[in-house]
Amino acid sequence: MGIEKIIFYVFAALSVYGALMVITVRNPVKAALYLVFTFFASAGVWILLEAEFLAIVLVLVYVGAVMVLFLFVVMMLDINLAQLRAGFVRYLPVGVAVAVAFAVMLIMLVGGDWFGGFAPPPPSPAEVSNTRELGRLLYTVYVYPFEIAAVILLVAIVAAIALTLRRRSGVKYQTPGQQIAVRRQDRIRMIDMPSEERK
Amino acid sequence: MMDWFVELWQAVPLGVQTVVIILLQIIAIVLPLMLCVAYLTYAERKVIGAMQIRMGPNRVGFFGHRLWGLGQPIADAVKLMFKEIVIPAGANRGLFLLAPVLSIGPALAAWAVVPFDAHLVLADIDAGLLYVLAVTSIGVYGVIIAGWASNSKYALLGAMRSGAQIVSYEIAMGFALVGVLMAGGSLNLGSIVRAQEGGVLHWFWIPLLPLFVIYFVSAVAETNRAPFDVAEGESEIVAGFHVEYSGMAFAVFFLAEYANMILVSGLTAIMFLGGWLSPLQGLLPESAFGVPVIGALLGDGIHWFIIKTAFFLFLFLWFRATFPRYRYDQIMRLGWKIFIPITIVWLLVVGVMILAGLPPWFDGA
Amino acid sequence: MLENYLPILIFILVGLAVGGMMIMLGFILAPNRPDSEKLSPYECGFEAFEDARMKFDVRYYLVAILFIIFDLEIAFLFPWAIVLKEIGWFGFIAMSLFLGILVIGFIYEWKKGALEWE
Repeated sequence: MGIEKIIFYVFAALSVYGALMVITVRNPVKAALYLVFTFFASAGVWILLEAEFLAIVLVLVYVGAVMVLFLFVVMMLDINLAQLRAGFVRYLPVGVAVAVAFAVMLIMLVGGDWFGGFAPPPPSPAEVSNTRELGRLLYTVYVYPFEIAAVILLVAIVAAIALTLRRRSGVKYQTPGQQIAVRRQDRIRMIDMPSEERK
Repeated sequence: MMDWFVELWQAVPLGVQTVVIILLQIIAIVLPLMLCVAYLTYAERKVIGAMQIRMGPNRVGFFGHRLWGLGQPIADAVKLMFKEIVIPAGANRGLFLLAPVLSIGPALAAWAVVPFDAHLVLADIDAGLLYVLAVTSIGVYGVIIAGWASNSKYALLGAMRSGAQIVSYEIAMGFALVGVLMAGGSLNLGSIVRAQEGGVLHWFWIPLLPLFVIYFVSAVAETNRAPFDVAEGESEIVAGFHVEYSGMAFAVFFLAEYANMILVSGLTAIMFLGGWLSPLQGLLPESAFGVPVIGALLGDGIHWFIIKTAFFLFLFLWFRATFPRYRYDQIMRLGWKIFIPITIVWLLVVGVMILAGLPPWFDGA
Repeated sequence: MLENYLPILIFILVGLAVGGMMIMLGFILAPNRPDSEKLSPYECGFEAFEDARMKFDVRYYLVAILFIIFDLEIAFLFPWAIVLKEIGWFGFIAMSLFLGILVIGFIYEWKKGALEWE
């Protein structure tokens, strides 16, 4: 067994452990941190697959951005644990159904004759950069889905603003343009007046 | 004695040998870095002292000599080591101690891909710059977790402010990095430096000038340094997210902040000022670089990288001594409404420059 | 390619270990004499009268969402930037369109006042 395989099993075990902790730990902040940990371990597995661009983007986008949002939310919301647990039994059947459906799909996709049934593809030569390969295809052959991604992101921006933006009334804003445009004569008036006489 | 070591070494399995060599290389990076951090704090106090016509630290020296206070950072470190680590009663113990570790880990790990000179780089990975961006984006966790785990109002306020600020400036920083990638045509930091060969006029700071300025200012904001230090704001929220930290736990946050400063200074030098390249290239005749000792000093090498990094570190200190603190709404406005539009426009400008093959930067292959 | 990632894995572990060891050192060398006053959270001399974990302005949440979207955009820009010379003007126009669509979102955001911070 080579060192690569050992590292793979370590990362795989860590990601399974992390995922289990996400759903069993009680404190929501800790659950979010375990999810971060799981993403890290999966990034390690992806690197072993020589998908370096995807692995690092996984860390950049999910760990560096999405999970920061999750943490903000769980920290801000003051989640009441007792209330959450009360609904557990009620939602259990739905949850089980979704889980079973997922498992069936996974097995149909990768299961059966796929397990150990084929040789791994030969490792690509060192000078091939998979970021470069991705770039060559994404913006030429797959340009149409790429532009659709932009539209989806646009929808996300609009939706996020529409859902969360609340205007508070009576708030005073600064307008830096006006502040800079202010001249001395707008604010100061020089008055010539005789001094008062001392009594 | 020597033979014994050689024999012992050969008895070690090959895999372990590699790991030991890598560990030694890492120590060779981390130890000087820690020393730099220690003396950066000294330099900060001396430089700001000089700017305010004070002496700065000048008492603590070695062996009875004062030596301009050179012993001060060592004394500070020893003092912090012997100070109690107070864990507040309402705090979340595990997370409270995890936070400083999460902030120093990324600050150190990012150095793995930094090229010190043409051959001196620990991990010459292809996606170097992407790795740096990903690893530094993890640093925000230390801040957020510290603020939440302390269970103190000031800490939480500081953490929230700092978190929102760091993520806002990360966007401007990311866009600026994309400009560098376009110009360099690679994600590998070594290749980016090599793309700038040919003397001071060939470095990327000229075609990417707006991105250069935005990158460095964002880096200042990202490291929570003055004038963007509302997250710490001593006078308003008493040091922000690390208000409850003391002793070594505080020292680790402090180390991480200064290690990050050195990191972003080094990255700025690599991406915009040609890293280890000599500015005299192309100005002096080729024969000048052949002169024994002087030629080596004038030519490319790690010393240029260190000089350039030191220049940016000096700017950090200078900013702190000069600028008053920004207000929070001003910080967010600068990040979102000024930096992001400028970077997007400049990316398109750079794209046109590259496709038009503008000399002397983009006329190569 | 993989052999280049081994030093990185080790460096990340060393980085975390350095932090962990320093804190451990602090616990070993430093005294530990807690009392209830020392352990109470800092509150400018007041007694802490409630849990510090309070509700926050939804604006922070909005900033985080917008950050994710722009971060994704940057992730799309990275491969484009390094192959720009190969894909030429076609790639440039494709990306201009992509950025153009997102700039519409950015303008909407600006006009709606989502970037104001009061």
